[in-house]
Amino acid sequence: MWTSEEVKNVIESNTLVIFGKGTKFEPMCGFTARAIEIYNSLGKPYEVVNIFADESIRGALTSYTNWPTTPQCFVAGEMIGGSDIVAEMLNSGDLQKKVDAAFEGAESN
Amino acid sequence: MTDSELKSILENGIDDSTVVVRDMTGTMDHFEVEVVSPLFAGKSLIEQHKMVHAAVGHHLTTTIHALKITTRTP
Repeated sequence: MWTSEEVKNVIESNTLVIFGKGTKFEPMCGFTARAIEIYNSLGKPYEVVNIFADESIRGALTSYTNWPTTPQCFVAGEMIGGSDIVAEMLNSGDLQKKVDAAFEGAESN
Repeated sequence: MTDSELKSILENGIDDSTVVVRDMTGTMDHFEVEVVSPLFAGKSLIEQHKMVHAAVGHHLTTTIHALKITTRTP
């Protein structure tokens, strides 16, 4: 049974996380697959939480983020968006900047 | 839902918006929308997408299974 507290812990203890449908190696939705592909291209470690792994994950996630759809992508504890926003941020260069800053911060701590 | 129904839901829900809807699969549940509204000015992408989610409302977790969103200002 997942709670919002547990969702928060996962998001805060991993610099890069995606909550989506399916796993890193077997995404089960085109949008999740696209988000994973983008995170994969960043060259940093990231986690993927499969919302189908437990039926309580989706509700716990949605009540924590107040965002109705998946995937939901996080950088350094912050929800940056779904796959459309992440793709836009990749193209603008904002995603790489944000991720580099997040890892610099993590390494200096 | 048809693409024209979704278009009017969005245009009614977001002031001064112009919306283009494409049914991605022909099954009336996977849509791509481009929403243009002056109300997006000065807002983050997250905030802009939240406005689209709010306009679509409960349809997003019922009849619509996938929604690809692009937002911009005129």
